[in-house]
Amino acid sequence: MRYNLTLAWEGLKRYPRSTILAVLTVAMGLAATMTTLALLHQLTADPLPGRSGHLYLAWVDTVRAKPQQNQSLNDITVENYHRIKWDDAQVLLRDHRATWQAPMASVFTEMTGDGEHAPHRRDYLLATTSEFMPMLGVSLRSGRGWSAAEDAARAPVAIVDSDMAVRLYGTVDVLGRGLKLGHGVFRIIGVTAPFSPQPHFYDLSAITFSGSQRDMAFVPLGALLDAGVDLASSDACDENGPKKSTLFGTDAAHCSSLSYWVDLPDGKAVADFRAYLQHYAENQQSLAGYGKSARAELTGVGAWLSKQNVVPDNVRLNAWLAGSFLLLCMANVAGLLAARFLRRGAEIGIRRALGAPRSAIFQQHVFEAALICLVGGVLALPLTLFGLWTLRLQASGFTDLARLDPAMFVALFALALVVGIVTGWLPAWRASRVEPGLQVKSA
Amino acid sequence: MEILPILSTLRRHKTTAFLVILEIALTCAIVCNAVFIINQRIERIHMQSGVDEQRLLHIALANIGAGKDEKARSEEDLAALRQIPGVVSVASVSQVPFGNSSSNASIKLDPKQRIATTNATNYFGVNITQTLGTQLIAGRELTADDYMDMEDVLNAVARHDPKAIPKTVVITQALAQRMWPGQSAVGKQLFMSDYGFTVVGVVKDLVRPSIWDDSIAGYSMVLPMRVSNGEYVVRVDDPKNRERVLKTAVAKLKEINPHRVVLKQHLLSNMREDFFQNDRAMAGLLVGVCIALLVVTALGIVGLGSFWVAQRRRQIGVRRALGATRVNILNYFQTENFLLATIGIAVGMVLAYGINLLLMVHYELPRLPGIYFPVGALSLWIIGQLAVLGPAMRAAAVPPVVATRSV
Repeated sequence: MRYNLTLAWEGLKRYPRSTILAVLTVAMGLAATMTTLALLHQLTADPLPGRSGHLYLAWVDTVRAKPQQNQSLNDITVENYHRIKWDDAQVLLRDHRATWQAPMASVFTEMTGDGEHAPHRRDYLLATTSEFMPMLGVSLRSGRGWSAAEDAARAPVAIVDSDMAVRLYGTVDVLGRGLKLGHGVFRIIGVTAPFSPQPHFYDLSAITFSGSQRDMAFVPLGALLDAGVDLASSDACDENGPKKSTLFGTDAAHCSSLSYWVDLPDGKAVADFRAYLQHYAENQQSLAGYGKSARAELTGVGAWLSKQNVVPDNVRLNAWLAGSFLLLCMANVAGLLAARFLRRGAEIGIRRALGAPRSAIFQQHVFEAALICLVGGVLALPLTLFGLWTLRLQASGFTDLARLDPAMFVALFALALVVGIVTGWLPAWRASRVEPGLQVKSA
Repeated sequence: MEILPILSTLRRHKTTAFLVILEIALTCAIVCNAVFIINQRIERIHMQSGVDEQRLLHIALANIGAGKDEKARSEEDLAALRQIPGVVSVASVSQVPFGNSSSNASIKLDPKQRIATTNATNYFGVNITQTLGTQLIAGRELTADDYMDMEDVLNAVARHDPKAIPKTVVITQALAQRMWPGQSAVGKQLFMSDYGFTVVGVVKDLVRPSIWDDSIAGYSMVLPMRVSNGEYVVRVDDPKNRERVLKTAVAKLKEINPHRVVLKQHLLSNMREDFFQNDRAMAGLLVGVCIALLVVTALGIVGLGSFWVAQRRRQIGVRRALGATRVNILNYFQTENFLLATIGIAVGMVLAYGINLLLMVHYELPRLPGIYFPVGALSLWIIGQLAVLGPAMRAAAVPPVVATRSV
């Protein structure tokens, strides 16, 4: 083994030009692949490790309207975020069949501080109910969350993100101050550290991926509706609901505009909750006459994300392309290696004639190939970092997530080693086939 | 030529010959598809907008404390903008091309239709088509009689009162073709929810503000509604005046009301650039990868070629001593490379086609046009010949006397 390593090292030094060429080729292929894989890895990562596994999106179709009325032909995918109406959310909240549960909607709205110059910003806030904190695992820097009683009383309280606190008030010490939303003033009772799961799975319609955009404040849903702030969008509305006077506003009571997330600890709880939801859907007397079957669904975070196709096609396409580029680089390096190994035909012949078994020759050359690819891997690291940096320069919403985490760093070297062994296999095999006698004669 | 001896020599170098073929096949398959994707991107970047991009400006103001006097304030703004020297036309609009956010509606041919025919975007604003500079190709433009106030229309929608809702619409040619293929759209009726609109005019092109599907990028409608939400489009007489007019316009708007916040101020050509930023970056990245691929392949061929030449020095010397000219030797290596490249290209084409089929299924890419095959083959033959030229020349330079040495 040591001997083989030494031989491999000596081999590298013997043809410096072809070594450099092979190392550069491997490094380029590895860097391209790792750049795209690192981005893909970030985009497909678990948004809330340890929690995502038992979070489910609950949905019942209780919209009193004919099915599919908003769908159009022409292959346009109709966005379907599986939201429910506020009325249904209140019934589900009251029944409380899950460990934790909360309806939620990200709302893009004006937030105004209470300072002298009243700084204001338009940003996202999450309108929800009290259990979102333990359910999503939002941690507080100071203050407290609100209670179920405050939800019921539609108390105008708010929890703000520390960044938002600094922007609006110049300090994170903002407990007790006022936050103007719509035509109401909300009292700040808590400050959170930035909470930014990637992707923003609990409301994909507002934000999908972003390192900088997130929900900057959390307020009770009822209180926000009281303050006249409309929820942003809806999947569908009741046909017989009262007509709104604004074009874009959504009537929460009659339009399905809330994502309802529940925390279910085990398979039994999931099955029970699913049965409960189905039962709830079947009991919707008011749906009679709309030609709808009782539809209810419970979707886990992972299934939800893949159903919504959150990873951009571009990213996957690039990963495939980079992977095939690596394959080509490997074919090239194999060619270079075959050339250099066979150039040593004479000395391999002598070693064979002196009794070296084929396996020893093979091992020596695979070692050499692996060594080249490992050196290529070392060189690929700065190249990958450079590639990720250029990706971050592009402003496409998700590219600011392009970073190399430790796991990917290890993966880079594992990949380099695998590439080396695979690439070296054929040339090394060819080298080990060199006939001892023939070479000695010609030498 | 001497194809048979070349083939029999190659049979003795299966590994290296196989590697050259593999390199060329992979390069062919990957580059064909990558170039195809690049072309798709470039086509998208150069999408027709139908508007006079070089002469247009866009300004959006924040509407703090929207009140009843919004309309009057908007008129005041428009009058002030019109007075700026160099301004040809001004419109208060609901959305602009490449603006990234849009209002869209499902449209139907029949009010009773359960599933809409297609989906199109709505532009509102007095004189919007004239200001944007779209080209009318049939019927007429919207006129003063058609227009209604947006606010009144929304109230009418809330009351379900069809009388106070506009009756006319101008649509794009692309949308007209989708709705009534092969027919004239002027005079036809289309429906949004229960409300009917008569098509009075057709414009050549008018792109949607946000494009999520290229095939429906040109499906736009212009409805006769007056909007006053602080979003303006300005057309200037000469592209050279754009920057100056934009600066003056913003200053003037600030002068009218110093408390207003200017949310956006762009030249339309810059909005277009920003809109396609990602496509450009992606195309650039792919071009880089393709060049790297070709370089790597060429270097690989040079590497293996050099090895072959070095290995066969003695054999070449013998041939030279037996009377082969330098050109014969050169041709030998070139023919060898041509043969290998041809096999590689043949395999590569099949691979390219297969990859394209996969991309068609998974990423909704169109079929690879036939022209890529001959062009791809030709390029790879040329690259192969260029790459092998160096080693072949070195081979041709081997003197006959080598034959007499025992290496």
